[in-house]
Amino acid sequence: MKQAVSVLTDMMKDKNYRHSIQIDRDKCIGCSHCMRVCSTQAIRIVNGIASIQPERCVDCGECYRVCPQRAIYAKDDGLASFHDNTYKIALVPSVFIGQFPSEYSATQVLNAVKTIGFDDVFEVEQAVDFMKEAYLIVGKEDNVQPLISSYCPAIVRLIQVQYPSLTQHIMLLKAPHDIAALYLRQSKEKEGVDPEKIFIYYITPCAAKIVAARDPVGESTSSIDGTINMKEVYNRTSQILWGEKNPDLHKTFANMSPDSVKWSLSGTEKNYFAGRSLAIDGMDNAIEFLEKLESGHIVDIDFLEMRACDQGCAGGILCPGNRFLTVERLEQRQKKLQKLQKRDNGSVNNGLMDYKETLHTLSDVDPIYPRDGLLLDENMEKAIIKLQRIKRLLTYFPGFDCGACGAPSCSSLAEDIVKGKASISHCVFVQRVMEKNYKLSPDQAFIVIEKIWGKNRLNKYIDSNANES
Amino acid sequence: MIMMMRYNIEGGDFSAAGRASSEVKKTLKQFNISSLVLRRIAVALYEAEMNVVAHAWKGIMNVDIQPQRISVVIEDEGPGIEDIGKAMEEGFSTASDEVRQMGFGAGMGLPNIKRNSDEMILSSTPNVGTRLEITVNF
Repeated sequence: MKQAVSVLTDMMKDKNYRHSIQIDRDKCIGCSHCMRVCSTQAIRIVNGIASIQPERCVDCGECYRVCPQRAIYAKDDGLASFHDNTYKIALVPSVFIGQFPSEYSATQVLNAVKTIGFDDVFEVEQAVDFMKEAYLIVGKEDNVQPLISSYCPAIVRLIQVQYPSLTQHIMLLKAPHDIAALYLRQSKEKEGVDPEKIFIYYITPCAAKIVAARDPVGESTSSIDGTINMKEVYNRTSQILWGEKNPDLHKTFANMSPDSVKWSLSGTEKNYFAGRSLAIDGMDNAIEFLEKLESGHIVDIDFLEMRACDQGCAGGILCPGNRFLTVERLEQRQKKLQKLQKRDNGSVNNGLMDYKETLHTLSDVDPIYPRDGLLLDENMEKAIIKLQRIKRLLTYFPGFDCGACGAPSCSSLAEDIVKGKASISHCVFVQRVMEKNYKLSPDQAFIVIEKIWGKNRLNKYIDSNANES
Repeated sequence: MIMMMRYNIEGGDFSAAGRASSEVKKTLKQFNISSLVLRRIAVALYEAEMNVVAHAWKGIMNVDIQPQRISVVIEDEGPGIEDIGKAMEEGFSTASDEVRQMGFGAGMGLPNIKRNSDEMILSSTPNVGTRLEITVNF
């Protein structure tokens, strides 16, 4: 892995803005809950419907959590995307197994997933044993300080959008699900499965992983063929498992080192990087830390494990269960694996590790470049003029970020105005003054409000006025 | 085309230290400048701000952004620097034990600022104050 910085590529930008998080225009009522929680100020209300600015969105899914209309969804490939006559493998993350009470063994849950229509199932965390080895190797190299884990795709994209100067800190290693997919292609081919027919589906706990599988950063193609929303698989698996506890069905040996099952949570990954390391989870926490790191306030840290969701992937937006229960169940699983490992005199039998030499040659990714989501203008002079206009506009705005303009804050509105996406009359306070000074007629003000909050949005007030008078 | 910004820095207010340099960094992210240059400016300004917080009574950061470069003047009222040549040596510091215990005062501040800027002009009058001018080309 080469973490060196090339000056030539220093100005390169990542222009891939495709996303998984989508808004269902039929369900959205433009209530602006999503706009207020978006960490990157990527959402505006236009014509009564939330609209996402693609260059800013990092697919963290915080908007998905708060939408009261269930109008925000994560676009996946789904079980419906299955092709006939293919060899379908489900890549199941450990947090999926943690959705079910501990009475259901991992083996039983994985078997149930297989029954849905897969030819094989594989637990992603088996690739973590490989990651641990890769981290040992990277840890010995002369790295920038600190290296930031590439595990969470929402964090990687957050850095690309908001912290451009930190992109060179992102570890250039593939994630465990990619490694697992690479391993499966090779091992299945060896078993005689036609490589053309192998289709690998990742059961995803979040939207960011969908994007990572579809449009990976630092890779031209992904080793994953499709993604399936964990909720869809959970529903189908629950139907099969319902009341069918089978205590006899469980592992007879440890197929991975016990703490690997907790890799996607917060606090395990960081233990495998030499030196000083921190584990940070939750978008707000990550932002607070990255802000300080980018300003040079934090030094002498070697490794940062970061997860956009509180409690790591157990808190993923597509996990149906409670994140704290999931964490506890994975802790129980770790103990069970420890027992098996102890019984076999400390040995672990992980088939993936037989392929580790080849996997080490495939595990690197290309350098990661910033996105220009914050850019005012490519041209420096124009950007300065725009910034001066923003400062001037901010002196007119009330400064309490009411959101009535359809933008999350006064400064967002000012930015939108200089980018030509909004007008000063969108501010309801400026509007009042304009009306008083006869610069804007009440009818025009009405049209402005309708442009933001949707046509006929004000009708109910007109009716009630008519009744009152 | 010039963009001016001005920030006050409070001597001894370690809890708020870094606010001014963070604001400047936030502004610069809206321009099409290389991420490496952004990082150099952020580090240089943070060190300069910390110097005022750790040594002076109060100070002002004046930022001047032009299409080709950023130029920042940090002026403080404070004890000043007796020997500028010595202050520029790596490892030299007059910071009190109290300040050192907080993880500052390693004597790397000024050399670090110099390393991260294209031009640095330092002048000081003992018992009056210090003036530091940093320029970084985009």
